Amino acid sequence: MLTHALFGGLLFGLYFTLVGLGLNLIFGVMRIVNLAHGDFLMLGAFAAYWLFTLFGLHPLVAAVAVLVVFVLVGLPIYYLIVPRLLVSRDSEMLSIILFFGLSQIIEALASIFFGTTERSIPGRVLGTGPVRILGQSVPSAWAFGAAVSAVAVILVYLYLYRTRLGTLTRAVMVSRDEALATGIDVHRVSAIAFGIGIALAGIAGVFEPFMLGSVTPAIGGDITIAAFAVIVVGTLGNPLGTVLGGIVYGVSLLLMQTYLSSWANLLPNLLLIGVLLIRPEGLLGRQVRRA
Amino acid sequence: MLRRALLGLVALVPLALARPVLAAEAPSEIKIGHLHAGSGPYASISMPVYLGLKLWVDQTNASGGAFVKAFNKKIPLKLISYDDQSSTATAATLYNQLITQDKVDLLVADSGSVLTSVAVPIAREHKQFLFDPTGTGATFFQNNPYIALLADPVSTIWPKYIADFLKDDGVKAGIKKVALLYSTNDFTGTQATALRGFLKTPDSGLEIVYDQGVPTNTSSYTVLINNIAAADPDAVIALGYTGNDIAFLRNLQDSGNKFRFLFAIYPGIETDELVKNVGPQGLDGVFTYVTSAAIAYKPEVGPTEAEFRKMFEKANAGSGVAYGFNAIAGYTTALVLQETLAHADSLSQADLRKAVFGLSGKLKTLDGTFELDEHGAQIGEITPLGQVHPEGKGVKITVVYPHDLATGKPVFGKP
Repeated sequence: MLTHALFGGLLFGLYFTLVGLGLNLIFGVMRIVNLAHGDFLMLGAFAAYWLFTLFGLHPLVAAVAVLVVFVLVGLPIYYLIVPRLLVSRDSEMLSIILFFGLSQIIEALASIFFGTTERSIPGRVLGTGPVRILGQSVPSAWAFGAAVSAVAVILVYLYLYRTRLGTLTRAVMVSRDEALATGIDVHRVSAIAFGIGIALAGIAGVFEPFMLGSVTPAIGGDITIAAFAVIVVGTLGNPLGTVLGGIVYGVSLLLMQTYLSSWANLLPNLLLIGVLLIRPEGLLGRQVRRA
Repeated sequence: MLRRALLGLVALVPLALARPVLAAEAPSEIKIGHLHAGSGPYASISMPVYLGLKLWVDQTNASGGAFVKAFNKKIPLKLISYDDQSSTATAATLYNQLITQDKVDLLVADSGSVLTSVAVPIAREHKQFLFDPTGTGATFFQNNPYIALLADPVSTIWPKYIADFLKDDGVKAGIKKVALLYSTNDFTGTQATALRGFLKTPDSGLEIVYDQGVPTNTSSYTVLINNIAAADPDAVIALGYTGNDIAFLRNLQDSGNKFRFLFAIYPGIETDELVKNVGPQGLDGVFTYVTSAAIAYKPEVGPTEAEFRKMFEKANAGSGVAYGFNAIAGYTTALVLQETLAHADSLSQADLRKAVFGLSGKLKTLDGTFELDEHGAQIGEITPLGQVHPEGKGVKITVVYPHDLATGKPVFGKP
């Protein structure tokens, strides 16, 4: 049981890396807390559901479509909301209120348009039965979720460290004012990062019905809390620290389910409190906090 | 003598005047207060109840209103239903608002035990009778004269047939070890406690080898299923809400584990939704409760289940709300309200209670026989044990226990 919980937690945690990755990228670049993150993930799940139901699109194809559409949707949302937010006196605090409101609006609209019943995509789409990896039997969906997450992390890494736009993004992450002073088009860089962050949430959403059973308009809140725990553990503002945060979250959750199942829903809060009390800068520490 | 007679006449004057005044005081509308969860984890069990209730209100108003015996006339209904968003804190505020601000005549709780649990003490404190559609927590009915459970039995009764079936047919088929996994809330937690009590009798021949509770918002069961399999049970009983059952059954399919006996609550309650999300093959052989959605009762009041289903689906086409037992529960609640108004001597809470309890054992609806025990707990609308079998793109459910109601024989998985 312990081995299965540890190995399963690793794969499950890799999926939660993907869940938290976009949230951390947005926080790292803009220093704003996107409390609607889980709701964008929910929209990604519904997109996958409708693309499969109406056109029979495989989730991997749906993920590509979601990536493109969500980046394009993220850009106008950025220009509509974020620049005004960033010139306010306390943009971090105000972002919490603003995006909480946005979260409520998205959930309400989704409830109106999609209804409140559970929706899911047949599990056989990602393969029937479990797969064996390193002697452990795990659902195909977990292997898919972990693999897609790993690809997303690599692409984000390549974007940040191997492209000119990524270099500019890291410059904004280090100091927005200094980046502005050096002539970097901070809003353009931030808007693209915002779009990518939203798209990463959408891609995580595509696999949500497989990882978490089904999707309803109400899942956003719980997902945002889990994503927040992941990025706080892995270091706020450090997108790649999210990998560690996700794995710690996944392994801890499955260990809790194995040995203290009734208390498993306390985990995100326990992790948040524990990290904030013992190591507020996150597990990866200050050295890498600003990428 | 003459003085006494005169005094008596004077005393009768107000009573004589009271009758025409009473008729004149008939309200312009009967206010029904209700909460529904338009979003959140309980929306899928709450919205069907709300829409079932609303359907009856619309139908009744279209025919001129509900007959109210206290005023001997039909009076239009006004449904005041707020959205509690599945939040118990919001629900508590809104229940108070319905009683103290809206001053509703009839108070109907939201669906399910979690959102009903906050209504129970509030209604009791304000001495307002609570019409409880599906809040089945056993504690609601302890020393509480202000409640009646209308559309399904109290939680302690639900698992009786599971236990009896396992002790009877199950043991004969070689089932000895039982795993119990439940969500920690009033509805399923109470059932788990009751089930434990039924199974842990010395002569049961059954042993509980796994017994774990999980939070109601659990959405990943893979590791739990692996842990259950490690305990090597013959029978697995999973008690959760709709979302829990969907996640559990999907994860079970993905895991490749199979058990000789598998029970889940919602395949028999929200059948369409489970079929849509888990698929007919994923439900093959699953034992479940059989509700009025799968049993054709002959109602003496209101439509049959088939007629109601047509009405519900027509009225709510495109709403995104699936038809299932909770829709029936909403309409059954409405029929109880209808009969209560038709039998209550006044709209006082005491007379409403008296009228509801007066219906016990006499009212037969599409949900079976409405029968209350002395505490207001529902004991008539029973939930036999059934088994799901794929049929075309859907499923059919056969009743397997109790034997006198059985429509088919149980099929156990291979050892």
